[in-house]
Amino acid sequence: MTTEPYSERVRLLFARPDHAGDLEKSDARAQIEEQGVRVALAAECDGDDITRLRFLAWGCPHLLAAAEAFCREFEGGPVRALHTFSAAEIMQTLPVPREKLGRILVLEDAVRSLGQRLSAGSKTGKDTD
Amino acid sequence: MNTRSDIVYLDYAATTPVDPRVVDVMTPLFGVDGDFGNPSSGHLSGRRSMQHVERAGGQLSELLGCTAAELVWTSGATESDNLAIVGAARYRADRGRHLVTMPTEHKAVSDVFQVLAKQGFEVTWLRPDEDGVLDPAELAAAIRPDTQLVSIMHVNNETGVIQDIEALGSVCRERDVLFHVDAAQSVGKLPIDLSALPVDLLSATAHKFYGPKGVGALYIANRPGCHVEPLIHGGGQQGGRRPGTLAVPLIAGFGEAARIARAEMQDDYAHLESLRTRLWSGIGDLEGILRNGAESRSFPGILNVSIEDVEGESLLLALEPLCVATGSACNSKSQAPSPVLRALGRSDLQAQSAIRFSCGRPTTSAEVDFAVARYREAVGRLRGMAPSRVA
Repeated sequence: MTTEPYSERVRLLFARPDHAGDLEKSDARAQIEEQGVRVALAAECDGDDITRLRFLAWGCPHLLAAAEAFCREFEGGPVRALHTFSAAEIMQTLPVPREKLGRILVLEDAVRSLGQRLSAGSKTGKDTD
Repeated sequence: MNTRSDIVYLDYAATTPVDPRVVDVMTPLFGVDGDFGNPSSGHLSGRRSMQHVERAGGQLSELLGCTAAELVWTSGATESDNLAIVGAARYRADRGRHLVTMPTEHKAVSDVFQVLAKQGFEVTWLRPDEDGVLDPAELAAAIRPDTQLVSIMHVNNETGVIQDIEALGSVCRERDVLFHVDAAQSVGKLPIDLSALPVDLLSATAHKFYGPKGVGALYIANRPGCHVEPLIHGGGQQGGRRPGTLAVPLIAGFGEAARIARAEMQDDYAHLESLRTRLWSGIGDLEGILRNGAESRSFPGILNVSIEDVEGESLLLALEPLCVATGSACNSKSQAPSPVLRALGRSDLQAQSAIRFSCGRPTTSAEVDFAVARYREAVGRLRGMAPSRVA
């Protein structure tokens, strides 16, 4: 048992959200307004590769840290890798307390939505913005 | 007083550091060369210890305007609240089982009423107006022939709102209903004259005004019908009302803190008023900021604000190394919005964004300026990271 609510990694990601902001238009979003959780994601792709990932988020420090961790991990990778993102996994690696699962699932929903949208865009040869 | 450079502490409503003068009084009472004897012992060492207890009783009774015989030493305000509420409810249960309180009370009070409600007592919860204030007419309307106890806090620990305990107590006194006041946030900070106030039971604690943690007191008025059944048994100390060996060093520290508070209360109040004005003038212009609790009826040591479009937990972390509260410290691990702020009509999200700044005797203008700058920066940063709302 610890009295420290945030791991060092969560603190670092929260303090330096390099991928936050700068979204002209989001490609995917998910929210549970009554719980105070909103996530928007945007991506730029070169073919099947994600060249730029950005997020906006409104929620607790764990959610913001998870969104930044997601962007750091998946920027530069293939679109098809997005489906491997898992709320359960990121909750273990950060870590995130179990009672916050619902908030991290909102991020997972946004990532799934982004993956579907980018996959549909690449099949039709369109860029997403 | 705070010489640690890694934090700026503005959470004096949660607890305060012990005044060095209090430490000086307490320290000699621990060791073999000091008056460490059991104050219940009849020998010289015990009698010397008892003199420290009696001196502290005199100092606290002077602060409160009561007699030392009307004070029972406890472990803190939570125990005092429990003893007052449970003890009085049980003592008068044969006369009636209706009790009255408010949802804006500290959990040391509200949780006790929840327990009593499961034990056959009926509890009426009175809501305050949007400023957090209870109208005495509302209380009068709630009291019934079988009402035995009303418990209303003096200064709200989250908002600083001050209840008119004189008017509320008069309503109770006219109807022969016991009136308990949780004064954990006001003792040592606001003038309290129990010789003139219609208060029957009053809870106090030392650590909210520069005394040690682990010691409190319950005032039990010396008047007919005002008694409490003890919650613990064995030993017979304090007339059996709260047995157990007295914590002499803590009690002596409590007394010294009371002496200092009585001497410096006016200066402390003016200092806090000036700091709160400085703080509010620094952040009050932010878009979407809301002040929780009546400005004209609140203790100046506390400023509670909510802000639109900012998530509270992230705000608290972004404010570090500023030490402030999102609500009652006893409740801060809960993710539920503050029931105090919800009772004032704030939405869940407004309540969740609330920050309580509480200044103290050692707080400096520079610390307040730091808090202003940090708060403005954190709000701007988090708003910049937030996506717009979509209905």
